[in-house]
Amino acid sequence: MSELIDLGTARAGQARLSKAIGRTGYRILMVSGSMAAAAAVALGLTSGPRYLLLLAALALVCYLPAVWWKRQLAVLPPTGNDLSGRLSVDVLARLKPGMIQQPQSVWAALSDHWQAVFFLNHLLITKEVVAGQLSAEPAELGQALQFAIQLADQNKSPIIELGFVVAGLLLASPGMKQTLTQLKIQAGDVEALANWLGRNVVETPGTEHHYGGIGRDWAFGYTPLLDRFGHNLSLGIAEHGAHFGWVANSDGVLAIEAAFDNHASAVALIGPDGIGKSTSVQALAERLIEGETGPTLAYHQVIALNATDITANAKQARDLEQIMLSLANEAAHAGHVILFFDDAQMFFNEGPGAFDASQILLSIIQAKSVPIILAMSPDDHQRLKAKNHSLAGLLTPVMLQELPEGGVMRVLEDTAAGLENRHHVLIAYEALREAYRLSGRYEQDEAYPGKAIKLLEQAITHSDNSLVNAASVQQAIEQTRGVKAGNAAPVEADALLHLEDNIHRRMINQAHAVKVVANALRRARAGVANPRRPIGSFLFLGPTGVGKTELAKSIAATYFGAESNMVRLDMSEYQQAEDVSRLLSDGQQESKSLIMSVREQPFSVVLLDEIEKAHPNILNLLLQLLDEGQLTDTGGKTVSFKDCIIISTSNAGANTIRERVGKGESLESFQAEFTDELINSGQFKPELLNRFDEMVLFRPLQPDELVQVVQLMVAEVNETLANQNIALELTPAAIQKIVEQGNDPRLGARPMRRVLQRAVEDTVAQKILKGEAKPGDKLTLDAPDLVI
Amino acid sequence: MAMLILSFFSWWYGRGWQQVARGFGPRLRGVMNAFSVRQLLRTLFAPWRRIITYPGASLEDRFRAWGDNLFSRVIGLVVRLFVLFAAAVTLALVALLNAAELVIWPLLPVAIPGCIVAGLII
Repeated sequence: MSELIDLGTARAGQARLSKAIGRTGYRILMVSGSMAAAAAVALGLTSGPRYLLLLAALALVCYLPAVWWKRQLAVLPPTGNDLSGRLSVDVLARLKPGMIQQPQSVWAALSDHWQAVFFLNHLLITKEVVAGQLSAEPAELGQALQFAIQLADQNKSPIIELGFVVAGLLLASPGMKQTLTQLKIQAGDVEALANWLGRNVVETPGTEHHYGGIGRDWAFGYTPLLDRFGHNLSLGIAEHGAHFGWVANSDGVLAIEAAFDNHASAVALIGPDGIGKSTSVQALAERLIEGETGPTLAYHQVIALNATDITANAKQARDLEQIMLSLANEAAHAGHVILFFDDAQMFFNEGPGAFDASQILLSIIQAKSVPIILAMSPDDHQRLKAKNHSLAGLLTPVMLQELPEGGVMRVLEDTAAGLENRHHVLIAYEALREAYRLSGRYEQDEAYPGKAIKLLEQAITHSDNSLVNAASVQQAIEQTRGVKAGNAAPVEADALLHLEDNIHRRMINQAHAVKVVANALRRARAGVANPRRPIGSFLFLGPTGVGKTELAKSIAATYFGAESNMVRLDMSEYQQAEDVSRLLSDGQQESKSLIMSVREQPFSVVLLDEIEKAHPNILNLLLQLLDEGQLTDTGGKTVSFKDCIIISTSNAGANTIRERVGKGESLESFQAEFTDELINSGQFKPELLNRFDEMVLFRPLQPDELVQVVQLMVAEVNETLANQNIALELTPAAIQKIVEQGNDPRLGARPMRRVLQRAVEDTVAQKILKGEAKPGDKLTLDAPDLVI
Repeated sequence: MAMLILSFFSWWYGRGWQQVARGFGPRLRGVMNAFSVRQLLRTLFAPWRRIITYPGASLEDRFRAWGDNLFSRVIGLVVRLFVLFAAAVTLALVALLNAAELVIWPLLPVAIPGCIVAGLII
């Protein structure tokens, strides 16, 4: 049977020779050649031409193979479209003629190469795991090599690099596929790694950069003032050789260039934070300093100005004006400067570190003497339009669009390579995916790729033995946002599994309601629930004083860690159509709207009390919230409710529940009929009821449950008294007395607390003040002791 | 082994020789870039670092400004011509070396037995 890879070709032989000589052999040949050449000259001069000629021959014997190795063998250009003609020297050199060509043997030959290690490290798998999963079936190698060819073509690489073959082996093996799936690695991740590797291997060599040479700036003026107040991005790039790769040819950069080519005097670079405004300008600076643009802009230098530095050097407003005008004049006179105002809003606003230079900028831009780039957010652009229409009108807007997922991942990969070098860490590919996912979910105020990069940088401090993995990213977001992002840890998983027990420590009965809610929360935490909607949404229905609010508080305490993680709104205060704006206020008019509260506290229970009393417009808003997991404030910014648990409560149908439970019916038996009643009576629209994850019915408390409620309340009093080292105990008769006095069929257990306050807390307070109760005492109160 | 030796000679007199010839252009371009030849030619008569005097209203002021600016241009011209001359010399040297390499290249493999034979005979 003929082998897939022909290892008998001249190219394959050259590859093996290339490996045999290697870099060390090349150096030995060069040094030997040089020594022979030097000896030839020396002996030629002293001992005659015979030695000169013989040693010159020796020098050539060393030099010629060295030249061959350097220019041909080390790179081995492709010789055709067949496998042997395209496989890289690293692959051909490692495969031995006569070997059985199948995935296992090929992997064994390639697995020590750095490109194979690149895959293993970033996928967090060992070479033994791969070896164990690859087949010994020669036919499977064909499929792997087919993948490798595809990856090479995808990367526009005429050479099939060793990394592409490794990726092919991983992708083609059914066993490996299964292993990768268990490790939550998708085929797309392996391909992405191959492309990441391809970008570095295929693009880097042979790319030369020129920055204009010795006389580049001789026709342009000096810029001493700009050197003092600004930061010359172009010279920084020329000095440190920073390269922005594909960003230099991105739409945004080309649009700025085109605007200046079309004689725009100023460009407004518009985009939200994190979208890459500064990076785009730096990439433009790279294009300019490398002379890659048209003659109008060639070798222009981008100088960034900082509002804080300028204000720090100005004692009065007049000084600011003077400095700004001097800077603009100097830039205009120099003739090769583009002024870049990063965070341009700092030049339009009042406040610390900011000043209003809009009039000065207007005059500079009107003069068209120096090209200017102003970077600003869309909101700031709108504000500028409203405040200084003539200035905004002079700016040519260039809108930066958020990158699609593939683009963001590419930026993350390139960033990760830099971070790995700088911090001496290894960043697993799962960490990049997690940074993308979690920053998208939890960082609403910034755009990609900035927010994902920021999260990845934060994750480095959570590295484990210099390894940054998905857990590191989860820890970073948990620390910065106080969110539970990771998979449930063993202890926490245990707590979730026993959620009902934890809730019942503070709630009496309502077992059905607690179970329904606990199941929904477990689904959300295990990642089974829809991530684009709130964690959970519940409609609590039942009479007053049966524990609806208490269950909401218990959820806040159990799931979010504290009862205070609750945003509570009484919907009876939102009965007018115009109340919608109060809910959605961005804080300019209404100080504490629903939106503002959730923005401040995104991980909380949102409790909407007496939902049936709200205006229909507000209920429509609730539909959107439950559907999309987000609302838009009056300023146009979206706020995510995806990390909230939405609980609406209502007393609607309370009498029905009371009556039917009184007749001995279970809640489950009449829930469907009850729901129909609510819809038919017009109290709730079916589309709203359908949006809730669960409708939870609460039944009235029974007398024995009320006894337990009193016991819980006494336990709370004891917690308070613990500071004074006093313990309180009620006899069964005393408890019974409180139950009788505090029980109201219409108000449930609600009056109980008032009765307990009057009867127990007042009595205890009097005893303490009279000195009848001292630290270390145990107070036992009987029914006659209680004055109600 | 024979195949490898054959590969060496086929590369040396084929692609290797082509590489030497193709190396001509990039090397010359490198020299031109390093000396900013295009920039200097384009701005040959421009004032040196834009050090110029803006003319006043009076005739005398105008005349003085014209003189100052002419001086700046002359300085610029002299410096640029000097650098262009240096660039021309370097280009000539590089071209010469390249041409020499191109001519000598095919002789080098033959030179090995030649040197040995000549050395043994002498």
